[in-house]
Amino acid sequence: MNQPMVVRAATTTGRQTLTSRRRTWLTAGLFLLPLFAFLVTFTYVPAGLSLVLGFYHYHLMGVHTTFGGLTDFKEALTYPIFWQALRNTIVFAVYMIPATLIGAVAIAVLIGERTKYYAFLRTVVLLPYVTPIVATSIGWLWMFNPQYGILNAILHWLHLPESEWLLSPQMAMPSIALYSLWHGLGFDVVIVISALSNVPRQVLEAAALDGATGWTRFRRIILPLISPTLFFLTIITTIGTLQAFSQIFALTGTQAQAGGPENATLTLILLIYQTAFNYYHFSYAAAMALVLVVMLLALTLIQTWLSRRWVFYQ
Amino acid sequence: MRDRKNPHAARSLAITTYGARGLRALAGLIVALWFLLPLYIAFVTSVDTRADVFRFPPHLIPDFDFHPYVAMWHMAHWSMYFRNTALITGITVAIALTTSVLAAYAFVYLKFPGRQALFFVTLIVLMVPSEALLIPNYVILHQMHLLNTLWAQILPFGGSVFGVFLLRQFFLTLPTSYWDAARIDGASHLQFLWSVVLPLAKPVLLTIGLYIGIGCWNSFQWPLIVTVSHNVQPIEVAVQRLMSSQSVDWRRLSAAGLMATMPLIAIFVALQKHILRGMSRTSGLQE
Repeated sequence: MNQPMVVRAATTTGRQTLTSRRRTWLTAGLFLLPLFAFLVTFTYVPAGLSLVLGFYHYHLMGVHTTFGGLTDFKEALTYPIFWQALRNTIVFAVYMIPATLIGAVAIAVLIGERTKYYAFLRTVVLLPYVTPIVATSIGWLWMFNPQYGILNAILHWLHLPESEWLLSPQMAMPSIALYSLWHGLGFDVVIVISALSNVPRQVLEAAALDGATGWTRFRRIILPLISPTLFFLTIITTIGTLQAFSQIFALTGTQAQAGGPENATLTLILLIYQTAFNYYHFSYAAAMALVLVVMLLALTLIQTWLSRRWVFYQ
Repeated sequence: MRDRKNPHAARSLAITTYGARGLRALAGLIVALWFLLPLYIAFVTSVDTRADVFRFPPHLIPDFDFHPYVAMWHMAHWSMYFRNTALITGITVAIALTTSVLAAYAFVYLKFPGRQALFFVTLIVLMVPSEALLIPNYVILHQMHLLNTLWAQILPFGGSVFGVFLLRQFFLTLPTSYWDAARIDGASHLQFLWSVVLPLAKPVLLTIGLYIGIGCWNSFQWPLIVTVSHNVQPIEVAVQRLMSSQSVDWRRLSAAGLMATMPLIAIFVALQKHILRGMSRTSGLQE
């Protein structure tokens, strides 16, 4: 389309057009080759492999690979620790999704104003998002310390019962969620603020003139208008929660084995990691990874289906 | 505002708004301090004397004893870990930017059959969950005899669909007359790309580079999986090893954590505008 008229006029015979067209195709091929070399090797082929690896008995140093059918899936599904990991993963998501949505909207409403002061606060809230997870877990480990940590000090000052945090099977997962919120919430806040800035002012002013209170305006106008963004956040929080690895590994790795205490923080991705790279049961781990992917797909579909009830598209 | 005729009402409203404003500013400040607290605690722990670290309630005013930093620097081969991390990040960003620019250019400026279909095939990558790729990619790198090398931490991230997507969006906003003019002057696609398109794309390239670079610098899971030798490992893996070896004391550990965090804080403070722009573009992917 954007071939200039001059050039088109110059190509007098059809043959020339053909060669020039072929030349363009060749250039396109050369330009696309590097990207696709990487994508084929490290995404398309492995994605295909991930679908079949669970059905084979594969050993890195082994002489041959044998077909195992569904045995690895059966084994995974009858292994109690797999179900515990699945439950832990869901529990983690159940903590993270509402906390992320409510936290992000509350903080966005609080610090979304366009003044220098609030811009500074936004910078501070976003800062943890770019920090390395293992390195910043160290400060948190110290905060969680039952004896000397500041969290128990705060509870103590408030005359509330103190907690064992990461050392208690009941509190370990909420503690991980607390770290994850600290690290990631800034991103969600930025996304919600940009959604809030798109809410038309006139609509809000009109509602105020009609006597709508702040809460009514929020509930009836702002929330429906930003609901597509909240849906987007629900999906990416789900994905992020199922992938969460570094913080669990760092915060519980100082105990006997990551995933403790008593396997209370052992999520599917951690179990897959340990099965594959500590015990080298590759096909077994691949079978579990496939279950995790199917679960992610199912959750996304369910959320999409549910979203028809609460997401409002203009 | 509704009772503009009544001066008293207007005044009382203004005062409450004033009070509410102050309250809001204070609440915002508390939230922000909460986000700073873990970094501050790590700082205080790293510069406190031993006696002040183990104290309840916790000691919140730093002693400024920087010995743990010196001790920590000598405990591990930090310059090597920094060099590894910088090499992995730099090469990954360079490769990913090159492949993205070339591909995005082809998708916008070169007419070839199946262009739309191929772009769609590229976008499908965004839907492949990364946890599905851990084991197969490990197996592939094993077959390539690349496990336990720097390349094992670079090559899997050489193709960035996010980068292709953003650059394509940007190229589509450039007037087609630029190419027409360049073509009349006898420029080839590569010349046009290099001397006209790339200089215009600098801000987008910076955004993509930051996004990929920060992710790369902070990556932990993949290096943990594909490396065993210290001499190819990045900082995060080294820090994790220090954490799990029980012999390191809290002050030095906190110092290590902050040394690893510092470069990111510096980058963030210096370039936050570009990072923010990248994030608002990420949310643009939602459609």
